[in-house]
Amino acid sequence: MSLLKKSRIYSPWLYHLHCGGCNGCDIEILAALSPRFDVERFGIQLVASPRHADILLITGPMPKQILPMAKRVYEQVPDPKVVVAIGSCACGGGIFYDPENYAILGTPDSLMPIDVYIPGCPPKPEAIINGIVQGILKLSKKS
Amino acid sequence: MSSEIKLIKYTIKKPMTLKYPSSLIPEKKYSQIPEVLRGLLQRDNEKCIGCKACHYSCSGKATTFQYKENKLIIETFTLRCAFCGYCQEICPEEAIKLTKTFEITINNPNEREAYITTELDLLKCKNCGKYFATKKFIDRTYQRLIEKIDPIIKESVMNDYKKIEEYCTDCRRMLSIKLNTHPKKYVWLEG
Amino acid sequence: MIELILIIFTSFFLGLFYSFLIRKFSARLQWRIGPLVFMYKDLRSIMGITRIIQPLYDIIKLFGKKTIIPESSRKRLFIYSPYISLIFAFISIFFIPFSGISLLSNVPYSLVIVSYLLIGSLLFMIIGPIASGSPWAFIGVRREAELFLVTEFGFIISLFSMAISKNSLILWEISISEFNLVNITAGLLMFTSILGKLHIKPFDMSEAEAEIVAGPYTEYSGKLLGIYYLTKIFLIYDFIALFISIFIPINTLPIYLSIPLFLIISILIIFILSIIHVLNPRYRIKNALIWYIKIISILCLINIITMVM
Repeated sequence: MSLLKKSRIYSPWLYHLHCGGCNGCDIEILAALSPRFDVERFGIQLVASPRHADILLITGPMPKQILPMAKRVYEQVPDPKVVVAIGSCACGGGIFYDPENYAILGTPDSLMPIDVYIPGCPPKPEAIINGIVQGILKLSKKS
Repeated sequence: MSSEIKLIKYTIKKPMTLKYPSSLIPEKKYSQIPEVLRGLLQRDNEKCIGCKACHYSCSGKATTFQYKENKLIIETFTLRCAFCGYCQEICPEEAIKLTKTFEITINNPNEREAYITTELDLLKCKNCGKYFATKKFIDRTYQRLIEKIDPIIKESVMNDYKKIEEYCTDCRRMLSIKLNTHPKKYVWLEG
Repeated sequence: MIELILIIFTSFFLGLFYSFLIRKFSARLQWRIGPLVFMYKDLRSIMGITRIIQPLYDIIKLFGKKTIIPESSRKRLFIYSPYISLIFAFISIFFIPFSGISLLSNVPYSLVIVSYLLIGSLLFMIIGPIASGSPWAFIGVRREAELFLVTEFGFIISLFSMAISKNSLILWEISISEFNLVNITAGLLMFTSILGKLHIKPFDMSEAEAEIVAGPYTEYSGKLLGIYYLTKIFLIYDFIALFISIFIPINTLPIYLSIPLFLIISILIIFILSIIHVLNPRYRIKNALIWYIKIISILCLINIITMVM
């Protein structure tokens, strides 16, 4: 494996995009970044700008109002990138799911390709870390 | 000054970090797992009778059912499931159980692993040839009926039930006079 | 000549090591582990063996990513100022003596050259983001510029009070002169300005994460961001080497003694910096300026008194 691909695995930076959820998943993401699980052991960092990120974490059921912004944030993440949907809402609409819902899209996979889904309402921090590791492995395979 | 004392205390102490993705110490791999944790749901295909109560109680429309030829297919879409446990609570046969599996990652929502599927055989109606309910469902209804019924009319109800057992709901209604199973006859009996 | 080539690698790896140590120490002080020195045995096939060069992995990864150049930016200034900043920081490593090795620090006016190069490097870290056209970058840059002015005040006064008291403008001559009271007072002044220049915690308001997105670097991505990170690595080395060589008289010792002493003292400084980094919340820019003006005016006064004596 080349040094570039290795360093992609070794230093994934996360950007957290909140799309109208109840904040449960967001709190669990913070728990996953806390000293108890300390993802900095593996070089994972939370960055503040989508332009610095490698992995985009999406939470929430995607209300239709936020779609243009979510699309723009996705485009701002430079290639190669991985999108991880966290929580039942971002994975499949969760309890808000209804095919005829006028306000909520549910999963954003029509908007952007999603690589890893982590169901749970909310998922435990371990599940989130496990999903991020799956995302990192996918990131190394992208050119 | 107290913050400095705390700093020294936490620097000397062993870090509180778990070794999480590594499983070098298996019993200390995870943080605290509560006893009431609701994880991935599991449906016992042997116990399930196909009553669809889980579909009607599902909070997120994650559990759906469909009739396909001679099969009843009950599916739960794991990605949409909120692990709320309503189906476990309502299931009459205790076939659904929420396990403690919480490390779930799914790469493709269309793949087979994203669904928890139960396939059940359907009975064919003797009269019209429609597939209407599962064998287990009919048997279980019969048992419950016997348990709860008034002993005075028990025998006649049992006889009636045996007659209509193999017909679908529409045909039962149509054939009730012909087979003499119409419930009004009990009213006459009592009168 | 060989020294000049060797110092490139030495400074680069020391800078990487220092920025790793800041991360590791502050993690350890926060009751967590930080980047692992030894990876867990069962994860070595995926996650590598060690993370001592974690900052290097970050930079290599950033170089391999796509660079986005925003439409609203002034493209030439936006693209070239990281490179100029890197060049300034890179050249200044030759003019700073490294533990008893003079390098280019005995050329005339080397003190002026070093202070000029360090100012230039920081200046282009401010100019690049201004050209990006992002409102977040503007807010960050405004804070950074204000902080830059007050820290520069203390930095210059401490450097030149040393120059006046040792009666020389050559860095090497200052570094081998005898230790006196000015070393301590000017050293303290320098230390306070290093806090602001390296964005140690109470003074990290310019790149305040989550408050103003990513501050000046909001619009930077990929290779250009990687170059800024590289510049920061050289700057950490620059400031620490400058601090040690001017204020702590280890340059007169033989090399086999001075190099270990240099390492020990630099790690000690990094440790103190990380303690300050962990223990403090973020100042508002107003508070930071007031703090600096108070501290610097007192320290300058003491400095001048000791200098006259």
